[in-house]
Amino acid sequence: MHHRLSMVSLAKPLPSASLHIVLALLEGEAHGYALIGRVVELSDGAVRMGPGTLYGTLNRLVSERLIEETTDRVPRHDSERRRYYQLTSIGRAVAVDEVARLQGLVHRIAAHLPGGATA
Amino acid sequence: MSDPSAAGIYSGLLRFYPRRFRDEYGTDMALIFAQQLRDEPTSRVWARGVVDLAITIPARHLEAHMDRPPNPTVAVVFAAISVSGLVLGIIGGSSLGILGFGLAVAVVAGGLAVAAWRHTRAVSAARPAAAPWWQVLLGGVAVLATTIIVVNVVGEVSDDLWLPMMLTLLAGVVTTATGLILGIVHLIENRPVVFRTD
Repeated sequence: MHHRLSMVSLAKPLPSASLHIVLALLEGEAHGYALIGRVVELSDGAVRMGPGTLYGTLNRLVSERLIEETTDRVPRHDSERRRYYQLTSIGRAVAVDEVARLQGLVHRIAAHLPGGATA
Repeated sequence: MSDPSAAGIYSGLLRFYPRRFRDEYGTDMALIFAQQLRDEPTSRVWARGVVDLAITIPARHLEAHMDRPPNPTVAVVFAAISVSGLVLGIIGGSSLGILGFGLAVAVVAGGLAVAAWRHTRAVSAARPAAAPWWQVLLGGVAVLATTIIVVNVVGEVSDDLWLPMMLTLLAGVVTTATGLILGIVHLIENRPVVFRTD
């Protein structure tokens, strides 16, 4: 299925949980528990999602077509069947856009700090 | 170290999620909780898990409610109540209290019927709702305010008017609350769009 992205620029930043998951998936596909670990690493331990937050957010991101489940398409060697997720082309574009937005934010804040300190 | 009883309790608590969400993700959530119990202190996992449940269970129920297709029966029921109130008011017109109560019920239920009908049409057509919530809210506030003003002007409420007055107040409170709920749902449904595909 092909979707043409007609408006990549975000009307509003992604919510925190969605943002962290999308950024974590930039590293590649992952299952739920691995995603929680990646988010902990990315946030330096500040964000630790519970299962309800994780799967509620994943469910929303799937419905918004930012991510997709790959469980049934990729051979697994896990002893337990897990759901794997990866970014869609739209999701990757949104994630890259969010990174650029955050970099711009940090850059502008640093420029306004006393002494013009840089991040 | 993983605690089988703790994982079992958590699995039991998952029953509070909406069935569809639970059927879809319940197994994975229980698996993750068991893995967290294996890797972290039990108290820390439970502290985080309880907060997570307390926040996400109501949120998932709200989402499930919003995803449900609108039911036109609601509009019909409110319309029926409205007509009944009007009939009651006309039949009992000799009593000012019954007339007032009947008309109040007719106005409030009629407003709710229109709001439910418009909401049904808007959602069915996959268009943003036409924001009937503020009309319902204003209607409820108007009923409340009018009743309170009338009671203050009259000064003392007779026994005959006590029940109609209380029912009218109740209708005002229910309508105001309905307007607030519809408003919250409207705000959530019409949150800013992040992206658009075509």
